[in-house]
Amino acid sequence: MARPVHPHAMAASRPGRTRTAPPQAASGWYAQPRMLRYLLFDATGILYLIAGFGVLRALWALGSGEEAWQAFLDRLHSPLYLAFHALALVCVVFVAVRFFRLFPKAQPAHIGPAKPPPQPVILAGLYAAWIGVTLVVSLILAGWIF
Amino acid sequence: MSEQKKTFVVTRFDPDRDPAPRQQTYEVPVQPDWKVLDALNYIKDEIDGTLSHRWSCRMAVCGSCGMMVNGKPSLTCKDSLADYGSRVEVAPLSNFPIVRDLVVELEGFLEKLKAVKPFILKEKERALAEGTHRQSPEQLEEFRQFSYCINCMLCYAACPVVANEPEFLGPAAIALGHRYNMDSRDEGQHERNEIFRGEGTVFSCSYANECSEVCPKHVDPAAAINQAKFNAVIDWLAGFVTSRGGK
Amino acid sequence: MKHLLLKLEPLIWLLFGQGILIGTMLLTGWILVVGLLLPLGVVSPAALGYDRAHDLASSLVGRVFLLALCALPLWKGAHHVRSLSIDFGGVNRDAAVATLVYALAAAGSLAAIIAVVRL
Repeated sequence: MARPVHPHAMAASRPGRTRTAPPQAASGWYAQPRMLRYLLFDATGILYLIAGFGVLRALWALGSGEEAWQAFLDRLHSPLYLAFHALALVCVVFVAVRFFRLFPKAQPAHIGPAKPPPQPVILAGLYAAWIGVTLVVSLILAGWIF
Repeated sequence: MSEQKKTFVVTRFDPDRDPAPRQQTYEVPVQPDWKVLDALNYIKDEIDGTLSHRWSCRMAVCGSCGMMVNGKPSLTCKDSLADYGSRVEVAPLSNFPIVRDLVVELEGFLEKLKAVKPFILKEKERALAEGTHRQSPEQLEEFRQFSYCINCMLCYAACPVVANEPEFLGPAAIALGHRYNMDSRDEGQHERNEIFRGEGTVFSCSYANECSEVCPKHVDPAAAINQAKFNAVIDWLAGFVTSRGGK
Repeated sequence: MKHLLLKLEPLIWLLFGQGILIGTMLLTGWILVVGLLLPLGVVSPAALGYDRAHDLASSLVGRVFLLALCALPLWKGAHHVRSLSIDFGGVNRDAAVATLVYALAAAGSLAAIIAVVRL
């Protein structure tokens, strides 16, 4: 990775009295497991963009009539689509687990008079909501309810 | 008394002589109870008096002795040498310009601290006759954790955004600004939230959480920054609803 | 451009936050059923045959769900791709990258609105 640190990182607005060496990064900073997980987390953005446009494509097909929709359904069987969706599932689980871990402590102590619930309650609530929403969405899509 | 030797690979840089930082190796006889700082002081006292490094309290409260040890930001007076193997690399804090050897330029950091107005701001100065402020333990609890920062700058060395965005205010500065925003005595929230949405924007934080992982005082700057984002958004939304007379 | 981006940051962050929170929750079921269980035959193809799919989608709840499912992940994705660009030293190209990814998300969101209305 070229130029891992910006040459003006943490620079003072006026030069000091002596010459300084430019800021450095610890070698292999990107290889440390925790940093790799963070970079992966950012990289999931690519997959979310693809997923969003994928849903758009499905939506457009649905609005274009039965033939277009059936063509879309048929495409889902291809190995490429299956692989993408398997990766996407891993991806959203990874994002959810990381985000849920970080979300509770990011709630301010109060907004006006309102206070958030205790952090463990928020965490449990997030997982409950995720599982609940996934169940409802899955059951509806699979035709097992409604 | 068992004696063990460890190899220290230390970054050296003399601005008058060296074109770029280089590394110098020292063999140091270490004691089992030593911290990394003890070894550095041994090097300076017994082997190479030209080594320059900052340190003071030796008990993790002054924030002077932050350095990279084996690639990770570390308070060298706090980290036990026993946690490291036979080869220890000591480098100046990442992301900071290097003044000399293990000493980094602080001025940029101090400017970011000042930029968040880290003091109680009042719309009108409180008259002496009104007496002291009163603050309940619950109110104190809302910001107490964020007041424990010792300005050791390990969070800046760890933050990937600090490394890449020179304008970013950074973890300690935002945590400090947030500490004042959450202080019930303070009335400067709007002013600080405008700073938080300005050039050094808190929204540059990508929630890597590295700052909180390395903080030796468990300040949890990542929590402060992300709470600050929320507050900055509320302040921004409120700006559309209320009039602020020119602000 | 940089100044405009700064001014819009709070809004973008809100959209990004909902993209992660709501978007992820909605996407999980969709990917599971439409992406995997349906093509693998665990779910009957009749469940999402044209008639049923269209009926579900054109209900109010269905339209809102599909709009959120499409648009919100785009904002999460855009923001994170921008962040990834900066992670690899891209601050100088940030204004350009940010404009590109947010324009993409905005275009996708607009297209999603059109798509759900058109159903």
